[in-house]
This record gives sequence, C-alpha cells and structure tokens, in this order.
Amino acid sequence: MRARMTPAVLIFGGLIIFWVAFTPVVIVPTYVIPDDPSETWDARTELEQRGREVYIAEGCTYCHSQYIRPQDWGIGADRLAKAGDYHQDAPHLLGSQRTGPDLSQEGGQHTNDWHLAHFMNPRSVRPDSIMPRFEYLGEEDIGALTAYMQSLGGVEADLRMAYQYKVRDDVIAAYEAGPDENIQYLHEQVPPGWRPLPNPYPATDASLSRGEKVYQSFCIGCHGPVGDGMGQASEWLYPPALNFTTIRRNLWEDKYIGGILYYYIMNGVTGSAMPYFKHELESEKIWDVSNYVAKYFIDWDDSNMEPVGVHSARETPGEGENSPPAREVISE
Amino acid sequence: MSAEKRVDLEEKLDRELDRDLQSDGPPPYSAAKGFIVSGAIWLIVGTTWGFIGALEYVAPDLIQNVSWLSFGRVRTAHLNIVAFGFLTATLIGVALYCIPALLRTKLFSERLGVATMWAWNAAVLVGAVTVSMGYTQAREYAELEWPIDVAVLLAFVLILYNMIMTVVFRREKNLYVSVWYFVGAILWTSMVYPLGNVMWHPKTGSMTGTVDAIWLWFYGHNVIGLLFTPLAVGAAYYVIPRVARAPLYSHTLSIIGFWTLGLIYTHIGTHHLMQAPVPLWLKVIAGIDSFLMLIPVFTVLVNLWMTARGHWVNFFGTAAGKFVFAGTIWYAVVCIQGAFHSLNFVQRVTHFNNWVVGHAHIAVFGFAGMIAIGAAYHILPKVCGRKIWSPPLANLQYWLIFLGLWGMFIALTIGGLVQGNSWLNGESVYRVLPQLTMYSALRVMFAIMIIAGALVGAYNILMTVSRGERIEAA
Ligand code: HEC
Ligand code: HEC
Ligand code: HEM
Ligand code: HEM
Repeated sequence: MRARMTPAVLIFGGLIIFWVAFTPVVIVPTYVIPDDPSETWDARTELEQRGREVYIAEGCTYCHSQYIRPQDWGIGADRLAKAGDYHQDAPHLLGSQRTGPDLSQEGGQHTNDWHLAHFMNPRSVRPDSIMPRFEYLGEEDIGALTAYMQSLGGVEADLRMAYQYKVRDDVIAAYEAGPDENIQYLHEQVPPGWRPLPNPYPATDASLSRGEKVYQSFCIGCHGPVGDGMGQASEWLYPPALNFTTIRRNLWEDKYIGGILYYYIMNGVTGSAMPYFKHELESEKIWDVSNYVAKYFIDWDDSNMEPVGVHSARETPGEGENSPPAREVISE
Repeated sequence: MSAEKRVDLEEKLDRELDRDLQSDGPPPYSAAKGFIVSGAIWLIVGTTWGFIGALEYVAPDLIQNVSWLSFGRVRTAHLNIVAFGFLTATLIGVALYCIPALLRTKLFSERLGVATMWAWNAAVLVGAVTVSMGYTQAREYAELEWPIDVAVLLAFVLILYNMIMTVVFRREKNLYVSVWYFVGAILWTSMVYPLGNVMWHPKTGSMTGTVDAIWLWFYGHNVIGLLFTPLAVGAAYYVIPRVARAPLYSHTLSIIGFWTLGLIYTHIGTHHLMQAPVPLWLKVIAGIDSFLMLIPVFTVLVNLWMTARGHWVNFFGTAAGKFVFAGTIWYAVVCIQGAFHSLNFVQRVTHFNNWVVGHAHIAVFGFAGMIAIGAAYHILPKVCGRKIWSPPLANLQYWLIFLGLWGMFIALTIGGLVQGNSWLNGESVYRVLPQLTMYSALRVMFAIMIIAGALVGAYNILMTVSRGERIEAA
C-alpha cells in the first residue's frame, strides 16, 4: 500500500509538523527562561546605547563574540557568561565568529585614548591587526562606540573604568611635569622588589632578535621604530607612548632597568594607553623585548649584572661585560 | 474534489490557457527564466563581495575608510546577495518550472510570477544597498530592515499562492516528491521568515536577551533547513531521475525523508549556541537530534543514488548532471561534518573560527548552490526553448567552481583548526592572526576561480536565453 501525498496532507501535515517541532524549543524557552539581570548587569546610558547602535550598523558582531566559555583564555576570561548579563539586550550580540577577541568584558581593559587610536587605525596600536579602520565614523560615533566598549562587563567594567580614571590624573600630571619627572614617577609606582632587578637573560643575538620580533608585532605603533614614542598612534594618545631614550638618565640606582621594564610590560601603565601584555607574552618574550628596548633604545644593557644567582646552564654569553658565570668557570 | 468540479476546473484552465496564448501576457515560464537569469547575475555580485571580504582579511588597509566596503558591511551584503539573490532565486526559478511541468499544467498565474520576480529582485537590491549603508538589524541572515522584510514575506506568500493554485489546477493526479519539497519549503518559510525576523517588533526585529539568540538561531538554522535544503532536494529529485533516465528508487524513502526533515530540522537551531548561556536541556535536544538529521539526509541520498546507480555515465556527460551529482556528495559531507561538530568536545575547537565558515560554504554553495546551478542548466532549454549556448563553457564553469570550492574549504578548515587549537592552548586571538594569513591568502586565490566560474556561468546563461539555437517544437 502506498501512502498518498495529497495537497491536503501536504499543507496540513506541513503546518502541524512545523508547530509541533517549533513550540517546545522556541515558544517554551521564551516563557521559562527567567528574565532577571545578573549581579554584574548594569543599565546602559544614552551614549552607550547610541554606541551599541553603531556597533550594530558596522557589523562588529561578525568579528567579535560577546560571551566567555569555560575553556577560554585571554581578554575577559575571568568571568563565564551568564544569561542575566544580556538582560534587555535587543537584539542580542552574542556573535558566532571570533575573528577578533571576545568583547564581553572589554570595559576598562584599555583607556579611551587607546580606543580612539584603535578605531582610527587599528594597526597603529596593534600592528598585526586585521580590523578595519573606522575613521569614517567621525569623532562623535567613535566617542559613542568607545563609551559602549567601556560599558561591556557591567558593574565590573565600571569598577575598572573608575580605577583607570582615578590613576589617569596622576599619570597626566607626571607627564606634564616633564620627561625626567615622568619617569621618576613611573618608576616609583613599581613595587620596590622589582626595581633593583637586572634582566636575568643575557642580551644575546638570539634574545635580541626575538625581542625585535615582539617589538614589531606589539609595540612599534606606539613607541615608534626608534623608540622615541612617536609611532603612528602618537597623534591620538595622551600621554603619548614613552620616549625610551629619556630613561638612560633615570636608571634605578643608576644601573637597573630590567625589572622595571618587565613589570610595566606585564601589567601596563594603568591610566595610560600602555596595555598589559600578560595574556599575550610569555615570560621569556617579555625579558627578550626588554633586552631589545634596553639595548637599542635606552642604550644600556643591565642583563647579567649582580645579583645573578646560579645561572641556568643553557645560557650563552651576552655581548656585555657581564657574561654568565657558568661559562667563565668552564673556560678557566 | 468531486469529479464534476474537477472537470469544471480543467475547463477553466483550458480557457485560461487559450486566453494566455492569445493575449500579450508573459509567455509560459517567464517567471522561471527571470529568476534563473537574475540569480546568475547576483552570483557574480555576491562572489565579488565575498572576494572583497576575503581580501580584507589579508590586506586590511587596501580599502580605507570607504564605509560601504568596510568588512562588517561587506560581509552582510555578501551573505544576503548569495543567499537570497542567487540561491533562493535560482531555486525558486527551478521550482516554478518543475511544478507545472510535473503536474502537466501551467503556472497558475505567469503574470503574478513575473511580478513576484521583479519584486524579489528589487527587495534583494534594496536590501544589499541598505545593509551597505549600515541599515541592518545585525542578526545573522535576518539583517534586512522591517520594510524589506515585508516585501520579502509578501513575495514568499505570493509564490506560495501561485504554487498552491497550480497544484489545485493540476492535471496529473499524483504529486511527485519534488512538488512536496517545493511547496513545503515555501509554506514553512512563510512562517519561519516572519517568526525569525520577529516582525511584530519592527524597530529592532528582535526579542530580548538570550531568548533572542534562541529565536535567531531557530531562524538562521531554518532558512537553511526549511528553505535552501528542501528547495535543493526538490530540484535534485527532479533532475536525477531524468538525467539517469531511470524511475525513482523508492516512494517510502521519499516519504520518510520529507516528513523527518520538517520534524527534525525545525527544532535543532540551538546547536549554534552549544557554548552560549542558554538552558542545558535545549542544548541536549539540539545536540542529540543533530544526529537524527542523518535520517532525512541519508534517506534522500540513498534514494537518489540508488536511482542513479548503473546510470553513472549519463551524469558525467552533462554539466547539469555533474553539478547536481556533486551537490548530493557535498550534502553528505556537510551533514556528516554537521553532526560531528554538534558534539561538544568538537565544538571546543571548531566553534567561533573559520572551520564553521568552511562548513557554511560547502553547505550553502557546495550542496544547495551546485544543485541550483545544475538544475538551472537542466531545465533552461525547456524554459526558453533554446539549447544551452555552450556545453563546454558549462563544463568549464563546473570545474572552476568545484575545484575553487574544494580549495576554499580545505584552506578554511585548516585555518579554523589552527585558530581553534591555538586558542584552546591559551594563545590570544591577536597572537594567532599571523598564523592565519596564509590560509586567508589561499582563500582569496580560490575565490578568483569561483568568481571566474560565476562569470562564465552568467555569460553562458545569458547567451542561452538570448542567442541559443532554437529547439524545434516537439
Ligand atoms: C574584520 C573583523 C573585525 C571587525 C569588522 C571589527 N573588528 Fe574589532 N578586532 C578585530 C581583530 C582581528 C582584533 C584584534 C586585533 C586588534 O586589537 O586590533 C580586534 C580588536 C578589537 C578591540 C580590542 C580588544 C582588546 O581589548 O584587545 C576592540 C575594542 C574592537 N576590536 C572593537 C570593534 C568594534 C567596536 C568594531 C565595529 C565598529 C569592530 N571591532 C569591528 C577584528 C574586527
Ligand atoms: C597603545 C600604545 C602602546 C603600546 C602598543 C605599547 N606601549 Fe608602552 N607605553 C605607552 C604609554 C602611553 C606609556 C606610558 C607613558 C607615560 O605615562 O608617560 C608606555 C610606557 C611604557 C613603559 C614604561 C617605561 C618606564 O620605564 O616607566 C614600558 C617599559 C613600555 N611602555 C614598553 C612597551 C613595550 C615593550 C611594548 C610592546 C610589547 C609597549 N610598550 C607597547 C604606550 C604603548
Ligand atoms: C568568491 C567566492 C566567495 C568568497 C571569497 C566568500 C567569502 C566569504 C567571507 C569572507 C565570509 C565571511 C566569513 C567570516 O565572517 O569570517 C563569507 C561568509 C559566508 N558566505 Fe561566502 N564567499 C564566497 C562565495 C559564497 C557563495 C557562492 C555562497 C553561497 C551560495 C556563500 C555563502 C556564505 C555564507 C552562508 C556565509 C556565512 C558563513 C558563516 O556565518 O559562518 N559564499 N564568505
Ligand atoms: C544535517 C546536517 C547538519 C548539521 C547537523 C549541521 C550542524 C551545524 C552546526 C552545529 C553549526 C554551528 C557550528 C558552530 O557555530 O560551531 C552549523 C553551522 C552552519 N551550517 Fe550546518 N549542519 C548541517 C547541514 C547544513 C546544511 C545542509 C547547510 C546548508 C544548506 C548548513 C549550513 C550551515 C551554515 C551556513 C552554518 C553557519 C552558521 C553561522 O554561524 O553563520 N548546514 N551547522
């Protein structure tokens, strides 16, 4: 016997099967999912809402997700997404591609001037970026977009922002006081244990060439090709990136700089556009880029200075006066 | 319907046919022809836009500060043009030929069909222009603003009306499988489209919070599952027995395949949200039933392949046969891959990166798009009464697209694995970008082959409808 397909079976069967399948998985969730805000949810201001509309219009959502999963590392990975974080969002902007990083916790990760430079020319602050330039949006829309970025993460983002603003005044005051005063201020903010600390890795050719690679992928747009702070981004940053050459006359105890460099590269300079790199650069890469900055821009290499401790056996001698003791022992 | 009534209807139809032949109304199959030709042209525009997007992955500063060519807008325009301008249009064109041909009648209203065709193209054009200007609702596949949604919905409803009335006035009593799929596709989409676009909220076109994500992926999934897939499957059901010159293998498999498609596809949209903060029970249903999808897929494929078995030569002789057959192979690949990456431990690596973009292209283009092109070539001689202008060019187009798409798929899949595995390993998104460049560059290269294929195809189709050798009326 053949099952007959009549027009009535086709139409009514089609309708029934559709609603039977649709109702439990779409209608039911609409009513059973609680619509409560999470503990970090925060209402958007008018400007932030305007920024969100720009985000929608520009299709940022096709490159950026807005939820953190358990296996994620990197920006925002401190907080797993909860349904309540998206309270009142219409449309949702969870996203399905991560061509760029997740933005659900973007608020307060960077300062406003970093965002300005990044929207005007992403490659100025992130040399390997493939994000489009958004200069065409104009100042007003970029401002709104930045406000929206800084709101992502809700209450936690607000706390991060409040801290950025608080420190920012001091950073600017120090910058305006003059180059030497600025560096002295910056160095005083580093925890004491880090200051009299030389770079423990000798500035070998290998280390320097690794350092150069890191510098070109991460730092060059701000600090510039010659380390004077006049990279492409300088026109949008205030204070601008540090001019490394002025550090030479402000070494700690007239000789140390490695620990200070490491500390700032790891943590960034809160209140300024200088980002933290602890998610992106492993320890060795930070020491290498520190060597590179020290050697070529500061023109002072403190690697292998006392205190040195017991050296790792794999170290080869650097070019400076301070070669690793292990080698000296062997050559004797 | 009583026999008396049926006779009445047939008489009415005959009268209309006479009137149409005498009047200056559009000749039969004008709507089908219009949809197919415009689809071929949209494919050029759509792939060019895809190419620009792909290029921006490699050379982000090549195009600077041209708002409408900024990636976020290019991608949206690309997707809407290929999905609605090329794919849906071509397949609707095929359906508007196949339904009357299978039912031994003519389209209920050719005039309405042609009007719908123009309205459709206007909607696609306005849609592409408005998203390029930044008027978008930023919900994937549901980007178009409300007024355009209304036009699109209206077009679907009019096509549905035309199809159903054609079925009502048919002379062939049995409805062949293709007819079920074509009517089913448009019937379901006439509901999926307004629901998925949340058309009762004209301003945002969305629900709120994570609930909106569930609605959106119900929609995004079923534009594919209840529009592209059934239209393409219907077209394959039409073409394959004809190219093979063999009867369809099994009626029972057809029945199972059709109803399970409607039942299963409709409710697994949440497999796009496997790691998002939506309820676990929804993910469990979506994950498990993604495997059940193998039923509607493989009943159809076994049915089609068994029909073709022993007649393979017929397929390799024509471009149409090759396109449709390749489409069925991609269908198998896509759905095995699809079930596989619905698994949570696979998604940990494959979600959020180019792996999914690879899947999307072999699905929407490899499966549905290849079948659409093949079916268009198959029916075009009957639609316009002319032979295909150049079979060798059709063949060339096949190889350009086939190889271009394979290349693109492989590049995207490897690129996606590099991204996913590096992330899992703790690399930041930024750090992985330089690793991706090579695969993005490969995609650009293969894209050139695909665009060349689209150009060759459109040229061939335009020449066929305007200059092809006339087939003497049989
Ligand atoms: C082509 C895809 C693409 C588009 C479109 C895009 N971005 Fe990006 N975005 C990236 C990539 C890649 C990065 C990582 C490199 C970088 O920081 O520039 C990034 C980084 C970012 C960052 C920095 C995140 C961090 O803390 O390191 C922000 C903020 C951002 N994008 C916002 C936006 C906004 C807002 C839009 C829309 C106006 C947008 N993006 C559009 C690709 C994109
Ligand atoms: C977005 C721009 C930007 C980028 C990218 C950037 N910096 Fe900075 N950097 C700054 C700014 C701004 C300051 C602080 C200026 C001030 O407070 O006067 C700074 C300060 C520093 C300091 C503090 C020096 C001291 O002695 O106090 C170090 C070290 C440093 N940067 C190294 C780097 C390295 C290494 C990289 C790349 C891995 C890098 N920066 C990338 C903008 C940037
Ligand atoms: C020249 C050929 C093509 C190129 C270079 C191309 C390129 C692209 C690019 C760059 C994207 C964005 C991916 C991302 O967000 O990272 C995309 C998305 C997409 N394209 Fe294409 N495309 C081409 C042809 C096609 C065709 C012919 C179709 C369909 C018939 C198609 C369907 C899609 C779909 C459905 C998406 C969305 C994918 C997703 O969300 O995962 N593309 N394409
Ligand atoms: C029946 C078997 C199929 C299954 C189980 C399946 C499963 C999936 C899953 C789980 C995703 C989400 C992947 C992710 O984001 O991590 C996905 C994405 C996608 N699938 Fe499939 N798929 C199947 C068949 C198809 C077919 C036949 C098509 C097209 C005609 C298709 C088109 C797409 C597209 C375009 C996307 C990208 C969505 C986006 O993010 O924009 N799939 N599929």
